[in-house]
Amino acid sequence: MLHVLAPGLRTTVQDLGRWGHMRDGVPAAGAADPWAHALAQELVGNAPEAAGLEVVGPPFRFRCDDRRVIAVTGRDARLRGRGALPSCTAVLARPGQELVLEGGPQGRFAYLAISGGIAPPAVLGSRSTYLAAGIGPFPRALAAGDALPLGAATVDAGRAGTGAAPLPYGDDLRAMRGPHAGRFPADAVTAFFAADFTVGADSDRMGLRLEGAQVAAEDGEILTCGLVAGAIQVPRGGAPIVMLADHQTTGGYPVIATVIAADLGRAAQLVPGERVRFAEVDRDEAVAARREMLRLVAALA
Amino acid sequence: MSATRVAPFGDGALLIELEQRVDEAIVARSTAIADAWESFGHGTAIPGYASVVLAYDPERLTGSAAEEEAHRALRDARTRGRSKAARLTLVPTRYDGDDLAEVAVMSGLTVPQLIDLHASREYTAFFLGFMPGFAYLGTLDPRIRAPRLASPRPRVPAGAVAVADGQTAIYPFASPGGWRLIGRADLRLFDPAADPPSAVRAGDRVRFTPL
Repeated sequence: MLHVLAPGLRTTVQDLGRWGHMRDGVPAAGAADPWAHALAQELVGNAPEAAGLEVVGPPFRFRCDDRRVIAVTGRDARLRGRGALPSCTAVLARPGQELVLEGGPQGRFAYLAISGGIAPPAVLGSRSTYLAAGIGPFPRALAAGDALPLGAATVDAGRAGTGAAPLPYGDDLRAMRGPHAGRFPADAVTAFFAADFTVGADSDRMGLRLEGAQVAAEDGEILTCGLVAGAIQVPRGGAPIVMLADHQTTGGYPVIATVIAADLGRAAQLVPGERVRFAEVDRDEAVAARREMLRLVAALA
Repeated sequence: MSATRVAPFGDGALLIELEQRVDEAIVARSTAIADAWESFGHGTAIPGYASVVLAYDPERLTGSAAEEEAHRALRDARTRGRSKAARLTLVPTRYDGDDLAEVAVMSGLTVPQLIDLHASREYTAFFLGFMPGFAYLGTLDPRIRAPRLASPRPRVPAGAVAVADGQTAIYPFASPGGWRLIGRADLRLFDPAADPPSAVRAGDRVRFTPL
């Protein structure tokens, strides 16, 4: 069991998402920064589909009943026991040892992986939490006193100390021209890729809201159409929204561009008030960038 | 066919767009294309009114191979029948929504006439989206005129029966929403423990029965 001593603002169980029920309108959910989550799972030796915790608003204080390998990843996220412990590194947690996940000013989504994984039975094929509709085996934010079942751990003490390079974070997001780019006025797409946006305070797991520059749309609405994570919708008001993990499965606004898979974590990790720009890439560049991220999350020192 | 377009939608999906209008035959074709794609095993598909998102793993399919497979799905969809028998769901409804009187006025109808028009038709569930279990139902009697709200309500209660732009729907969960509210349904639309979890599925028929 993992015991929650202090839950932070909003900590949820997440994995790679619930992909089999989009046609029932069920958002994929899953880790908002899928790369940081994947790196944490890799560090502790879990399978990619294992579930961990996504911490928003640390400190998150916890202990495990038995010996486990744990790892913390994410932008500006740290681990502390009695003293500071390294992040992006496998750490051996002793039975009952109190540990704290802490964040800095640039922290938004921090990930905690535990060897064996958070292991309640999956709901609709995933252990992810979708808070808006209460879907998932733990369909709410964690509270102090919660005890989460862990999977059988094959604790390899030799794994402790294994580290990885921190993932790259920053304010430039690579994006491909969107499927509805042709419905915007000719210069709107060029203007979009040249504009400076600011991350809005109401950004959340559903979407990154952009302020500061307006995008002109010829016609504010389209026939309701399916969406993917990274899609940048432009509603009538002209303030774009980047779809993140909890995004709705369909939408009615044209998509001007799509943040590439490699940069979805960077997008999610932007903090309100931060500046953001989009750099246009083609599909080949996007696939190469994704492959580079797959390499980074598998490359352990 | 000439209106059909296949475009990249990020690096792990394609968007097929059909002729962009609301038409039961085009919706059925979108659904058939989605079924064909999922039968290939490349990933999930999300149909809309006149489009389908086709997801794939770029480590397994190159973009151009995915596009070839999308064209195969378009061809396969033509020979595909409906994937399952349509069921009829009756939705007991209390017509007391906050916008009921306003929609009646906008439509030049009395409230009883509006209720009668809304409840006297059998609707088709075109597809689900927006939130778990939310079925886009249509089409409304053209005499019901209900454009979307200029700015969405911050909170629409679970069970709200709403209309907008020729469509009607029931909100399975409380959420922000821009459709006009005409009533409340007494029906659980989404249950993650049920199989399938949605009470109404694409292709099903729905009729509202006034309480």
